[in-house]
Amino acid sequence: MVNDFRFPSALPIITRMSRLLFSLLVFVGLTAATTAERLVEVPDLAAFRKLAPQTAPLRVLNVWATWCVPCVEEMPDLQRVDDSFASKDVEFVGISLDDALPGDRAKHKKKVLSFLDGRKIKFRNVYYTGKLNRLQDDLRFEGEIPVTFIFDRQGKELWRHQGKIDRQEMVRVIRNLRTKGKG
Amino acid sequence: MKARVILFAALLLLLVASSASAAELEIGAKAPGFSLVSAVDGKNVSFKPGDGKLSVVVFTCNQCPYAKAFEGRLNDLGRSYAAKGVKFYAVNSNDDVQYSEETLPNMKARASSKKYPFPYLKDGNSAIAKAYGARVTPHVFVVDGKGVVRYRGYIDDDAKVEAREDTALTNALDALLARKQVATASTKAFGCSIKWKKS
Repeated sequence: MVNDFRFPSALPIITRMSRLLFSLLVFVGLTAATTAERLVEVPDLAAFRKLAPQTAPLRVLNVWATWCVPCVEEMPDLQRVDDSFASKDVEFVGISLDDALPGDRAKHKKKVLSFLDGRKIKFRNVYYTGKLNRLQDDLRFEGEIPVTFIFDRQGKELWRHQGKIDRQEMVRVIRNLRTKGKG
Repeated sequence: MKARVILFAALLLLLVASSASAAELEIGAKAPGFSLVSAVDGKNVSFKPGDGKLSVVVFTCNQCPYAKAFEGRLNDLGRSYAAKGVKFYAVNSNDDVQYSEETLPNMKARASSKKYPFPYLKDGNSAIAKAYGARVTPHVFVVDGKGVVRYRGYIDDDAKVEAREDTALTNALDALLARKQVATASTKAFGCSIKWKKS
């Protein structure tokens, strides 16, 4: 008597599981890559310039943190100004100082990303992990945030504002700088 | 004519007084004194520069996460240096109309729950912060027994204990207690901007 019984082939199940696992890994990989790209860690200003090189003639740089009330309040205005230009002449970049607080870095970064998503902030942001006093010295600011700068392509500071920005004033400043050929 | 001059001077004074942040007191400057209400017992506490005591005036507040990150550290310093005769005054200059967390009852609740070992004082119209040129919370000024500013800036260079490289406030206090020069007399305080009282 021939034993006709055979165990069901495990091959299709394994193939399906492999495909599922592969898809999952691709998804996780892509999400991680996107997160890293959106909030790259920078230990100092030199690394910031290397990892987030300026591509437009004018760069608006905003130094902020999610724990800073005026920073959080002005962020949508910065996005509006960025939207109003929507040109290659001006680029906006944020440096988050959320790492200044003790606690888990991954949690801090998650909070920053969640804030940016929630407020629909599209311009690029990086996550500063270095010493605060070094950044204060490099950018020559006293220690209050938010602080916003405009740099030309050579990295020369053209304008700065301590405290919450005035949206209309900022639009005027950028227009003037573009007219003067700075941008 | 005289009335016009007086009016002009008064307007100028008002303009200066109402401007948000004044220049930070220089090292070697005479520290302004004050008499402010203590949140815990409602009594006035006076700081009289030149009273012979080494003193620390620290501008802090209830709501700033960065200031809160230094709360435990400040409490430890207040306790340990009190034993060496150093007086600490914590001053809250934030506008409590715009920011309800900064009212006297909320200050009292915070000082009591966190067991502040020093008076927590309300600078209701932000005048003392302006007089010192404080910008952020926390922002500290060390005043020697003669009433002269000998250190200004941050408590430490980092809120994270493991990342701390410069414990500038304790270095300054230790130097002054040992009657030595303060090696780093001025640092850049970092934190939340003071929420100025709107005049």
